Amino acid sequence: MKSKLLMPLALVVGLLAVCGPMFAHHGSAAYANTVLVLKDATVTKFVWANPHSFVMFDVKDDKGNIVHWAAETGSSSAVSLLGWNRNSLQPGDVVAVYIWAAKSGSPVGRLNKIVFADGKTLRDSVLGEWAGKSKQSGPALAVFARKTSGHTATTRVRAGST
Amino acid sequence: MLNVTKGCVALTGVLFLSSYALSQTRQPNKPIRADDGKTLVDQFNKNGTGGPAPRHDITGFWAGPPSPKENEVPPMTAWGQEQFKTHKGHSQYSEAESNDPMKFCDPLGFPRDMLYQTRGVAFAPMADRMLQLSQFNRVWREIWTDGRELPKNVGGRSADASDPRWYGYSVGRWDGDYSFVVDTVGSDERSWLDTAGHPHSVDMRVQERYTRLNHNTLEMTITVDDPKTYTKPFVITTSQFKWIPNQELREEICVPSVMQEYLSIIGDPAGESSAK
Repeated sequence: MKSKLLMPLALVVGLLAVCGPMFAHHGSAAYANTVLVLKDATVTKFVWANPHSFVMFDVKDDKGNIVHWAAETGSSSAVSLLGWNRNSLQPGDVVAVYIWAAKSGSPVGRLNKIVFADGKTLRDSVLGEWAGKSKQSGPALAVFARKTSGHTATTRVRAGST
Repeated sequence: MLNVTKGCVALTGVLFLSSYALSQTRQPNKPIRADDGKTLVDQFNKNGTGGPAPRHDITGFWAGPPSPKENEVPPMTAWGQEQFKTHKGHSQYSEAESNDPMKFCDPLGFPRDMLYQTRGVAFAPMADRMLQLSQFNRVWREIWTDGRELPKNVGGRSADASDPRWYGYSVGRWDGDYSFVVDTVGSDERSWLDTAGHPHSVDMRVQERYTRLNHNTLEMTITVDDPKTYTKPFVITTSQFKWIPNQELREEICVPSVMQEYLSIIGDPAGESSAK
Protein backbone atom coordinates (compact mmCIF):
# COMPACT_ATOMS: atom_id res chain seq x y z
CA MET A 1 0.00 0.00 0.00
CA LYS A 2 2.76 2.36 0.99
CA SER A 3 4.68 1.75 -2.22
CA LYS A 4 1.52 2.24 -4.26
CA LEU A 5 1.07 5.61 -2.62
CA LEU A 6 4.69 6.56 -3.10
CA MET A 7 4.74 6.08 -6.85
CA PRO A 8 2.18 8.74 -7.73
CA LEU A 9 3.74 11.00 -5.13
CA ALA A 10 7.10 10.53 -6.81
CA LEU A 11 5.49 11.46 -10.12
CA VAL A 12 4.18 14.68 -8.66
CA VAL A 13 7.51 15.51 -7.02
CA GLY A 14 9.29 14.75 -10.27
CA LEU A 15 6.94 17.01 -12.16
CA LEU A 16 7.49 19.81 -9.70
CA ALA A 17 11.22 19.34 -10.12
CA VAL A 18 10.80 19.82 -13.86
CA CYS A 19 8.67 22.90 -13.26
CA GLY A 20 11.24 24.31 -10.88
CA PRO A 21 13.63 25.87 -13.37
CA MET A 22 10.87 28.16 -14.61
CA PHE A 23 11.18 30.04 -11.38
CA ALA A 24 14.91 30.35 -11.56
CA HIS A 25 16.76 33.60 -11.38
CA HIS A 26 17.66 35.34 -14.60
CA GLY A 27 20.37 33.61 -16.56
CA SER A 28 20.24 30.51 -14.38
CA ALA A 29 18.76 28.39 -17.17
CA ALA A 30 22.36 27.64 -18.11
CA TYR A 31 23.32 26.27 -14.71
CA ALA A 32 23.01 22.86 -13.09
CA ASN A 33 20.82 22.45 -10.04
CA THR A 34 23.50 20.83 -7.93
CA VAL A 35 26.12 22.72 -6.02
CA LEU A 36 29.72 22.01 -6.94
CA VAL A 37 32.30 22.54 -4.21
CA LEU A 38 35.66 23.87 -5.36
CA LYS A 39 38.13 23.78 -2.51
CA ASP A 40 41.45 25.64 -2.34
CA ALA A 41 40.32 28.13 -4.94
CA THR A 42 42.66 31.09 -5.36
CA VAL A 43 40.94 34.35 -6.18
CA THR A 44 42.43 36.16 -9.17
CA LYS A 45 39.91 38.95 -9.72
CA PHE A 46 36.75 40.35 -8.18
CA VAL A 47 34.47 42.70 -10.13
CA TRP A 48 32.02 44.69 -7.99
CA ALA A 49 29.22 45.82 -10.30
CA ASN A 50 25.56 46.01 -11.27
CA PRO A 51 23.64 44.03 -12.24
CA HIS A 52 26.21 41.26 -11.83
CA SER A 53 29.29 41.15 -9.70
CA PHE A 54 31.63 38.28 -10.45
CA VAL A 55 34.68 36.57 -9.07
CA MET A 56 37.43 34.80 -10.98
CA PHE A 57 39.56 32.12 -9.36
CA ASP A 58 41.95 29.28 -10.12
CA VAL A 59 41.43 25.68 -9.06
CA LYS A 60 43.65 22.66 -9.69
CA ASP A 61 42.02 19.70 -11.39
CA ASP A 62 42.77 16.07 -10.51
CA LYS A 63 45.88 16.13 -12.69
CA GLY A 64 47.26 19.24 -11.08
CA ASN A 65 46.38 21.50 -13.98
CA ILE A 66 45.10 24.93 -13.09
CA VAL A 67 41.58 25.63 -14.32
CA HIS A 68 40.45 29.24 -14.52
CA TRP A 69 36.95 29.57 -13.14
CA ALA A 70 34.52 32.49 -12.98
CA ALA A 71 31.33 32.80 -10.95
CA GLU A 72 28.64 35.43 -11.14
CA THR A 73 26.91 36.77 -8.07
CA GLY A 74 23.99 39.05 -7.46
CA SER A 75 24.35 42.77 -8.01
CA SER A 76 26.48 44.79 -5.66
CA SER A 77 23.22 46.39 -4.49
CA ALA A 78 21.88 42.96 -3.52
CA VAL A 79 24.91 41.31 -1.96
CA SER A 80 25.91 44.43 -0.05
CA LEU A 81 22.89 43.70 2.14
CA LEU A 82 24.45 40.33 2.89
CA GLY A 83 27.70 41.76 4.17
CA TRP A 84 29.69 42.04 0.96
CA ASN A 85 31.64 45.08 -0.16
CA ARG A 86 34.03 45.83 -2.99
CA ASN A 87 36.94 44.60 -0.87
CA SER A 88 35.33 41.34 0.21
CA LEU A 89 37.57 39.29 -2.07
CA GLN A 90 41.18 40.05 -2.87
CA PRO A 91 43.49 38.41 -5.41
CA GLY A 92 45.38 35.68 -3.60
CA ASP A 93 42.60 34.80 -1.16
CA VAL A 94 42.28 31.03 -0.84
CA VAL A 95 38.66 30.01 -0.35
CA ALA A 96 36.13 27.24 -0.92
CA VAL A 97 33.69 28.14 -3.67
CA TYR A 98 30.20 26.64 -3.79
CA ILE A 99 28.86 27.08 -7.28
CA TRP A 100 26.10 26.03 -9.62
CA ALA A 101 28.27 25.22 -12.59
CA ALA A 102 27.27 25.73 -16.21
CA LYS A 103 25.68 22.79 -17.96
CA SER A 104 27.85 23.67 -20.95
CA GLY A 105 30.93 22.31 -19.17
CA SER A 106 32.66 25.67 -19.25
CA PRO A 107 34.30 26.51 -15.93
CA VAL A 108 31.77 29.18 -15.06
CA GLY A 109 28.66 29.30 -12.94
CA ARG A 110 26.39 31.03 -10.48
CA LEU A 111 27.84 31.44 -7.04
CA ASN A 112 26.14 29.88 -4.07
CA LYS A 113 28.57 30.95 -1.39
CA ILE A 114 32.24 31.45 -0.60
CA VAL A 115 33.76 30.10 2.59
CA PHE A 116 37.08 31.37 3.94
CA ALA A 117 39.52 29.24 5.90
CA ASP A 118 38.34 30.81 9.17
CA GLY A 119 34.76 29.88 8.38
CA LYS A 120 33.65 33.35 7.36
CA THR A 121 31.01 32.95 4.68
CA LEU A 122 29.83 35.19 1.88
CA ARG A 123 26.45 34.02 0.57
CA ASP A 124 25.08 35.05 -2.76
CA SER A 125 21.75 36.83 -2.97
CA VAL A 126 19.69 34.20 -4.77
CA LEU A 127 19.17 30.46 -4.63
CA GLY A 128 20.84 30.40 -1.25
CA GLU A 129 18.34 28.04 0.29
CA TRP A 130 19.67 25.27 -1.89
CA ALA A 131 23.02 25.43 -0.18
CA GLY A 132 24.04 22.19 1.45
CA LYS A 133 20.95 20.33 0.32
CA SER A 134 22.45 19.04 -2.87
CA LYS A 135 26.12 19.28 -3.52
CA GLN A 136 28.89 17.53 -5.33
CA SER A 137 32.58 17.44 -4.63
CA GLY A 138 35.58 15.23 -5.34
CA PRO A 139 34.71 13.06 -8.33
CA ALA A 140 32.32 15.63 -9.71
CA LEU A 141 35.07 18.21 -9.60
CA ALA A 142 37.36 15.81 -11.43
CA VAL A 143 34.71 15.29 -14.09
CA PHE A 144 34.20 19.02 -14.47
CA ALA A 145 37.92 19.57 -14.61
CA ARG A 146 38.27 17.04 -17.41
CA LYS A 147 35.30 18.42 -19.27
CA THR A 148 36.61 21.93 -18.96
CA SER A 149 40.27 21.28 -19.63
CA GLY A 150 39.80 22.18 -23.29
CA HIS A 151 38.43 25.57 -22.33
CA THR A 152 41.27 26.47 -20.04
CA ALA A 153 43.42 28.21 -22.59
CA THR A 154 40.49 30.12 -24.00
CA THR A 155 39.47 31.24 -20.56
CA ARG A 156 43.00 32.30 -19.77
CA VAL A 157 43.02 34.52 -22.84
CA ARG A 158 39.66 35.98 -21.91
CA ALA A 159 40.79 36.62 -18.40
CA GLY A 160 43.99 38.19 -19.56
CA SER A 161 42.21 40.44 -21.97
CA THR A 162 40.11 42.13 -19.31
CA MET B 1 -6.44 2.64 -3.90
CA LEU B 2 -8.04 3.30 -7.26
CA ASN B 3 -9.30 6.62 -5.97
CA VAL B 4 -5.85 7.56 -4.72
CA THR B 5 -4.31 6.73 -8.07
CA LYS B 6 -7.05 8.62 -9.90
CA GLY B 7 -6.53 11.57 -7.63
CA CYS B 8 -2.79 11.62 -8.23
CA VAL B 9 -3.25 11.26 -11.98
CA ALA B 10 -5.70 14.17 -11.90
CA LEU B 11 -3.32 16.24 -9.77
CA THR B 12 -0.47 15.43 -12.09
CA GLY B 13 -2.62 16.44 -15.04
CA VAL B 14 -3.52 19.72 -13.40
CA LEU B 15 0.12 20.40 -12.59
CA PHE B 16 1.12 19.54 -16.13
CA LEU B 17 -1.48 21.85 -17.61
CA SER B 18 -0.62 24.63 -15.19
CA SER B 19 3.02 24.12 -16.09
CA TYR B 20 2.08 24.45 -19.75
CA ALA B 21 0.04 27.53 -19.02
CA LEU B 22 2.90 29.04 -17.07
CA SER B 23 5.29 28.33 -19.89
CA GLN B 24 2.93 30.18 -22.23
CA THR B 25 2.71 33.26 -20.08
CA ARG B 26 6.18 33.02 -18.52
CA GLN B 27 5.62 33.79 -14.91
CA PRO B 28 7.73 36.67 -13.68
CA ASN B 29 10.86 35.58 -11.92
CA LYS B 30 10.26 34.28 -8.46
CA PRO B 31 13.79 33.64 -7.32
CA ILE B 32 14.49 31.92 -4.06
CA ARG B 33 16.33 34.70 -2.34
CA ALA B 34 18.96 34.43 0.32
CA ASP B 35 18.39 38.05 1.24
CA ASP B 36 14.73 37.67 2.11
CA GLY B 37 14.27 39.70 5.25
CA LYS B 38 17.32 41.72 4.42
CA THR B 39 16.08 43.99 1.68
CA LEU B 40 15.96 47.67 2.47
CA VAL B 41 12.17 47.51 2.46
CA ASP B 42 12.29 44.81 5.11
CA GLN B 43 14.74 46.81 7.17
CA PHE B 44 12.73 50.00 6.97
CA ASN B 45 9.52 48.17 7.79
CA LYS B 46 10.80 48.14 11.34
CA ASN B 47 10.49 51.92 11.47
CA GLY B 48 6.73 51.80 11.75
CA THR B 49 4.33 54.25 10.13
CA GLY B 50 6.18 57.44 11.08
CA GLY B 51 2.85 59.13 11.66
CA PRO B 52 0.09 60.18 9.29
CA ALA B 53 0.70 60.90 5.62
CA PRO B 54 1.12 64.56 4.72
CA ARG B 55 -1.42 65.92 2.25
CA HIS B 56 -0.39 66.13 -1.42
CA ASP B 57 3.16 65.14 -0.69
CA ILE B 58 5.16 62.14 -1.88
CA THR B 59 8.38 64.15 -2.05
CA GLY B 60 11.46 62.30 -0.97
CA PHE B 61 13.54 59.19 -1.38
CA TRP B 62 11.94 55.77 -1.15
CA ALA B 63 13.29 52.22 -0.94
CA GLY B 64 11.53 49.61 -3.01
CA PRO B 65 11.76 45.89 -3.64
CA PRO B 66 14.49 44.63 -5.99
CA SER B 67 11.72 43.38 -8.26
CA PRO B 68 8.09 44.18 -7.41
CA LYS B 69 5.84 41.15 -7.40
CA GLU B 70 3.87 40.93 -10.60
CA ASN B 71 0.42 39.60 -11.30
CA GLU B 72 -0.20 37.30 -14.20
CA VAL B 73 -0.76 39.00 -17.50
CA PRO B 74 -4.08 38.33 -19.28
CA PRO B 75 -4.19 36.39 -22.55
CA MET B 76 -2.38 38.13 -25.36
CA THR B 77 -3.73 39.07 -28.75
CA ALA B 78 -2.29 37.41 -31.84
CA TRP B 79 -0.03 40.43 -32.30
CA GLY B 80 1.09 40.23 -28.69
CA GLN B 81 1.89 36.54 -28.95
CA GLU B 82 3.88 37.19 -32.08
CA GLN B 83 6.02 39.77 -30.28
CA PHE B 84 6.33 37.61 -27.20
CA LYS B 85 7.79 34.72 -29.20
CA THR B 86 10.70 36.91 -30.19
CA HIS B 87 11.51 37.93 -26.62
CA LYS B 88 13.92 35.52 -24.99
CA GLY B 89 13.84 36.39 -21.32
CA HIS B 90 16.22 35.39 -18.58
CA SER B 91 13.67 33.24 -16.85
CA GLN B 92 13.88 30.67 -19.61
CA TYR B 93 17.07 31.36 -21.51
CA SER B 94 20.72 31.58 -20.65
CA GLU B 95 22.53 34.87 -21.00
CA ALA B 96 23.99 33.66 -24.29
CA GLU B 97 20.55 32.88 -25.70
CA SER B 98 18.65 35.78 -24.19
CA ASN B 99 17.93 38.92 -26.16
CA ASP B 100 16.81 40.93 -23.16
CA PRO B 101 17.71 44.58 -23.91
CA MET B 102 18.99 44.68 -20.36
CA LYS B 103 21.73 42.27 -21.44
CA PHE B 104 23.47 45.20 -23.11
CA CYS B 105 22.47 47.80 -20.52
CA ASP B 106 19.90 49.21 -22.93
CA PRO B 107 17.31 51.42 -21.27
CA LEU B 108 14.74 49.53 -19.24
CA GLY B 109 12.10 51.93 -20.52
CA PHE B 110 8.72 52.50 -18.93
CA PRO B 111 7.03 50.74 -17.18
CA ARG B 112 9.79 48.15 -16.80
CA ASP B 113 11.82 50.68 -14.83
CA MET B 114 9.12 50.48 -12.16
CA LEU B 115 8.92 46.68 -12.31
CA TYR B 116 12.61 45.84 -12.03
CA GLN B 117 15.53 47.20 -10.01
CA THR B 118 13.30 49.47 -7.98
CA ARG B 119 15.48 49.50 -4.90
CA GLY B 120 15.51 53.29 -4.88
CA VAL B 121 13.03 55.84 -6.25
CA ALA B 122 12.58 59.53 -5.52
CA PHE B 123 9.95 62.14 -6.24
CA ALA B 124 10.87 65.79 -6.59
CA PRO B 125 8.07 68.27 -7.37
CA MET B 126 8.67 71.39 -9.43
CA ALA B 127 6.24 74.16 -10.24
CA ASP B 128 4.95 72.52 -13.41
CA ARG B 129 6.01 68.90 -13.15
CA MET B 130 6.97 66.07 -10.85
CA LEU B 131 10.35 64.49 -11.39
CA GLN B 132 10.60 60.79 -10.71
CA LEU B 133 14.15 59.66 -10.18
CA SER B 134 15.34 56.07 -10.26
CA GLN B 135 18.40 54.86 -8.45
CA PHE B 136 19.04 52.28 -11.17
CA ASN B 137 20.96 53.97 -13.96
CA ARG B 138 20.09 57.40 -12.52
CA VAL B 139 17.15 57.77 -14.86
CA TRP B 140 14.51 60.47 -14.42
CA ARG B 141 11.03 60.93 -15.78
CA GLU B 142 9.16 64.19 -16.18
CA ILE B 143 5.54 63.95 -15.10
CA TRP B 144 3.79 67.14 -16.15
CA THR B 145 1.37 68.62 -13.67
CA ASP B 146 0.58 71.85 -15.55
CA GLY B 147 -2.66 70.55 -17.00
CA ARG B 148 -1.38 69.68 -20.42
CA GLU B 149 -2.84 66.76 -22.32
CA LEU B 150 -0.94 63.68 -23.32
CA PRO B 151 0.18 63.63 -26.95
CA LYS B 152 -2.05 61.71 -29.30
CA ASN B 153 -1.01 59.27 -31.98
CA VAL B 154 2.56 58.85 -30.71
CA GLY B 155 4.57 57.03 -33.34
CA GLY B 156 1.98 57.73 -35.99
CA ARG B 157 2.69 58.68 -39.61
CA SER B 158 1.32 62.23 -39.49
CA ALA B 159 3.83 65.05 -39.50
CA ASP B 160 2.82 66.24 -36.04
CA ALA B 161 2.95 62.81 -34.42
CA SER B 162 5.36 62.64 -31.49
CA ASP B 163 8.21 60.14 -31.44
CA PRO B 164 7.96 57.12 -29.17
CA ARG B 165 10.21 57.40 -26.11
CA TRP B 166 11.85 54.86 -23.86
CA TYR B 167 10.10 56.50 -20.92
CA GLY B 168 7.03 57.74 -22.72
CA TYR B 169 5.06 60.93 -22.07
CA SER B 170 3.52 61.42 -18.65
CA VAL B 171 1.07 63.70 -16.90
CA GLY B 172 0.16 63.61 -13.22
CA ARG B 173 -2.54 64.86 -10.87
CA TRP B 174 -3.66 64.45 -7.29
CA ASP B 175 -6.66 62.26 -6.67
CA GLY B 176 -7.84 63.13 -3.17
CA ASP B 177 -5.32 64.07 -0.50
CA TYR B 178 -2.88 61.21 -0.69
CA SER B 179 -2.87 59.67 -4.17
CA PHE B 180 -0.75 60.97 -7.03
CA VAL B 181 -1.91 59.49 -10.33
CA VAL B 182 0.28 59.34 -13.40
CA ASP B 183 -0.90 58.54 -16.93
CA THR B 184 1.67 57.62 -19.55
CA VAL B 185 1.56 56.95 -23.29
CA GLY B 186 4.10 56.53 -26.07
CA SER B 187 6.50 53.98 -24.60
CA ASP B 188 8.95 52.74 -27.21
CA GLU B 189 8.13 49.21 -28.36
CA ARG B 190 11.77 48.21 -28.11
CA SER B 191 11.41 48.12 -24.35
CA TRP B 192 9.93 45.08 -22.65
CA LEU B 193 7.04 45.32 -20.26
CA ASP B 194 8.93 43.24 -17.71
CA THR B 195 11.85 40.90 -17.22
CA ALA B 196 9.80 37.92 -18.33
CA GLY B 197 9.77 39.52 -21.76
CA HIS B 198 6.11 40.38 -22.02
CA PRO B 199 5.67 42.86 -24.87
CA HIS B 200 3.77 46.10 -25.24
CA SER B 201 2.79 48.31 -28.13
CA VAL B 202 3.39 52.01 -28.55
CA ASP B 203 -0.37 52.42 -28.10
CA MET B 204 -0.17 51.19 -24.49
CA ARG B 205 -1.54 53.43 -21.77
CA VAL B 206 -0.22 52.96 -18.27
CA GLN B 207 -1.59 54.41 -15.08
CA GLU B 208 0.48 54.56 -11.92
CA ARG B 209 -1.19 55.37 -8.64
CA TYR B 210 1.09 56.36 -5.78
CA THR B 211 -0.83 56.44 -2.52
CA ARG B 212 0.90 57.60 0.62
CA LEU B 213 -0.57 55.33 3.26
CA ASN B 214 1.34 56.99 6.08
CA HIS B 215 4.52 58.99 6.45
CA ASN B 216 6.75 55.99 5.86
CA THR B 217 4.78 53.98 3.29
CA LEU B 218 4.07 54.68 -0.35
CA GLU B 219 1.97 52.18 -2.28
CA MET B 220 2.35 51.88 -6.02
CA THR B 221 -0.26 50.31 -8.29
CA ILE B 222 0.41 50.02 -12.01
CA THR B 223 -2.39 49.34 -14.49
CA VAL B 224 -1.62 48.44 -18.10
CA ASP B 225 -4.13 49.04 -20.87
CA ASP B 226 -2.81 47.86 -24.21
CA PRO B 227 -5.60 46.39 -26.39
CA LYS B 228 -3.21 45.79 -29.25
CA THR B 229 -1.21 43.39 -27.06
CA TYR B 230 -3.51 42.15 -24.28
CA THR B 231 -7.15 41.14 -24.32
CA LYS B 232 -8.03 43.28 -21.31
CA PRO B 233 -6.51 45.91 -19.02
CA PHE B 234 -4.75 44.56 -15.95
CA VAL B 235 -3.03 45.58 -12.75
CA ILE B 236 0.51 44.32 -13.15
CA THR B 237 1.67 45.14 -9.65
CA THR B 238 0.78 46.62 -6.32
CA SER B 239 3.93 47.19 -4.30
CA GLN B 240 5.08 49.23 -1.38
CA PHE B 241 7.98 51.60 -0.96
CA LYS B 242 9.42 52.68 2.36
CA TRP B 243 10.74 56.05 3.45
CA ILE B 244 14.54 56.07 3.55
CA PRO B 245 15.55 57.61 6.88
CA ASN B 246 18.74 59.31 5.65
CA GLN B 247 17.12 60.27 2.32
CA GLU B 248 20.05 59.04 0.25
CA LEU B 249 20.17 56.72 -2.73
CA ARG B 250 23.03 54.50 -3.80
CA GLU B 251 24.75 54.56 -7.13
CA GLU B 252 23.49 51.60 -9.15
CA ILE B 253 24.47 51.78 -12.79
CA CYS B 254 24.56 49.16 -15.50
CA VAL B 255 27.92 49.78 -17.17
CA PRO B 256 28.05 48.48 -20.77
CA SER B 257 31.77 47.69 -20.73
CA VAL B 258 31.43 45.73 -17.48
CA MET B 259 28.41 43.90 -18.90
CA GLN B 260 30.44 43.00 -21.99
CA GLU B 261 33.18 41.68 -19.72
CA TYR B 262 30.63 39.65 -17.77
CA LEU B 263 29.15 38.20 -20.98
CA SER B 264 32.57 37.38 -22.35
CA ILE B 265 33.82 35.68 -19.20
CA ILE B 266 30.65 34.06 -17.85
CA GLY B 267 27.39 34.65 -19.69
CA ASP B 268 28.39 33.42 -23.13
CA PRO B 269 30.50 30.41 -22.04
CA ALA B 270 27.71 29.32 -19.69
CA GLY B 271 25.23 29.17 -22.53
CA GLU B 272 27.50 27.78 -25.21
CA SER B 273 26.00 24.31 -25.55
CA SER B 274 22.38 25.29 -25.07
CA ALA B 275 22.69 28.10 -27.59
CA LYS B 276 23.67 25.73 -30.37
